[in-house]
Amino acid sequence: MTDILKVENVTLTFGGVKAITDISFNVREGEICAVIGPNGAGKSSMLNVINGVYLPQIGTVTYDGVERRTINPRDAAIAGMARTFQNIALFQGMTVLENIMTGRNLFMKSSWLEQGLNIGRARKEEKENRLAVEKVIKFLQIESIRKTPVSKLPYGLQKRVELGRALVAEPKILLLDEPMAGMNLEEKADMSCFILEINKEQGITTVMIEHDMGVVMDISDHVVVLDYGKKIGDGTPSEVMSNQDVIDAYLGVSH
Amino acid sequence: MIYRETGNFVTNYFKDREIFPLKFDKIIVIIGLLFLYLYVPTTSEYTLSAHVVPILAVGLATVGLNILTGLTGQLSLGTAGFMCVGAFSTYNLMLRIPEDFMSLPVALLFSGIFAGLVGVIFGLPAIRIKGFYLLVSTLAAQYFVWWFFNSYAWFLNYETSGVVAIPPKMYDYWGLGNLLGIDMQGYPARYVLALTVCLALTYFAKNLLRSNTGRNFMSVRDRDIAASVMGISVPRTKLLAFFVSCFYCGVAGGLYSFCYIGNVDLMIYEIDRSFTILFMLIIGGLGSISGSWLGAIFVYEFPIVFTWVGDTIFQGAFNTAVVENVSNMVYGVFIIALLIREPGGFAALWATTKQKLRMWPYPH
Repeated sequence: MTDILKVENVTLTFGGVKAITDISFNVREGEICAVIGPNGAGKSSMLNVINGVYLPQIGTVTYDGVERRTINPRDAAIAGMARTFQNIALFQGMTVLENIMTGRNLFMKSSWLEQGLNIGRARKEEKENRLAVEKVIKFLQIESIRKTPVSKLPYGLQKRVELGRALVAEPKILLLDEPMAGMNLEEKADMSCFILEINKEQGITTVMIEHDMGVVMDISDHVVVLDYGKKIGDGTPSEVMSNQDVIDAYLGVSH
Repeated sequence: MIYRETGNFVTNYFKDREIFPLKFDKIIVIIGLLFLYLYVPTTSEYTLSAHVVPILAVGLATVGLNILTGLTGQLSLGTAGFMCVGAFSTYNLMLRIPEDFMSLPVALLFSGIFAGLVGVIFGLPAIRIKGFYLLVSTLAAQYFVWWFFNSYAWFLNYETSGVVAIPPKMYDYWGLGNLLGIDMQGYPARYVLALTVCLALTYFAKNLLRSNTGRNFMSVRDRDIAASVMGISVPRTKLLAFFVSCFYCGVAGGLYSFCYIGNVDLMIYEIDRSFTILFMLIIGGLGSISGSWLGAIFVYEFPIVFTWVGDTIFQGAFNTAVVENVSNMVYGVFIIALLIREPGGFAALWATTKQKLRMWPYPH
């Protein structure tokens, strides 16, 4: 399998704080790659570098054969990257349907004048994209809440809607920032099923940050471990589990 | 029990997007249109000139501000300035272009576009700044526009008094006056023009709101970083919002001068008017098109009703100063109360009432 994403020697600093120091790793096409590490290890910063929310000082990200030092988030979206956020970045004033429809905005080619007059292409597009959205709504089993404002939904469902919004953009690679944070066991099981299905059935490469080791070891093909902004482990789940540096980072070292 | 929502089953996605999904609503809309077009023009000139036409003009400006502030979340205090651009452009287009090529509706359209472009220029800082800092930029727009038209007398055709009356011939467009045998400068004709423009633009705004552009606007308002991650160009969306919003304000300014007061006067486009329109927006409800109209009606009518109450019940006990001060206090109380209890304004109150009636007599 080819590498869809190659992160090479990325360093990101905020003023004097080094968030990420010289990290390199590859993500193969079609795999689930989990990025793990203790709090403050630079996992979220890593995702933000990959899709252009943060601009690294040194290093390159090669995505889909194109090597770039920086990319802007919009170009990343056009190139087929979609993501969710750690602290849910849904559009709170909009309904579930509107939120997920926003994920289709790159498929809408009609001008604002056509949309304002509600003629021709604008009407047709609205219907076609609604069909795509309804497929995702059905897949995530959120039919009953499609017209509810997202601010009224419980946390677990909001996470699901956010996954739907990313998924409906038909991405090549999906970046999930803690998709299971704060969920109970049942919700975690549901979410794991969705992620596996997205990966296996639709073949979407997934990069996921997750803290629940059980989930990580069960569903991921490849694990990258970060600690204090440095990469300390990289390999299959079983390789990583037996890596002494990783054990030290998680369990501490006796002095 | 004539009005019921049950039994209305949506069978395709076009039906699901309808503005008025119920048959009963559609009938009401048709009756309403007939009322507005056939009955209202026959009422007294006083009703039209003192109530209906000015509400149409300021209501349209409120809808415009709503697109920028309510939908896209960009605060603006330049509304009156952009209305001013609209009013002056309409006048100058009518004055300087031979009447064979220019008519009032066309001039209104172009002055909207002018105002929109001015809006885009003053909206440029919005790419980098937001919130209160952007407020300063739009405040600058307000004062700059005012200063500009005040300094260059050419725009007022060198009228020294600062007020120029609109010549009657400017109202006569497309030979409609002769054709229909009506006085085009009279308030009924002006009213019909203003009403048509307002209905068309309200429909346009409503469509925009429920389409991709509207969703882009709202996504920039709610989470601009998430919006950019989804491929929405945030700067473009903000500038588009400025253009559309200021287009509405420009047309509203043209209507205010041409259909309501009948002269072009710089003094009525001062900062006070920007604030009044902002009050209308907040009281009516940010983000709701129908709320904008409710807010405009409330804020515009309140002093009039208050004066009327004073005159009829208290034998004219309230002079104009009292009315003005009480009105401002009432707006203030309404804004504070609404912001605390119901930030969605009248539009949200209406939605809550409807929800309560659906459940009635049960509390939940």
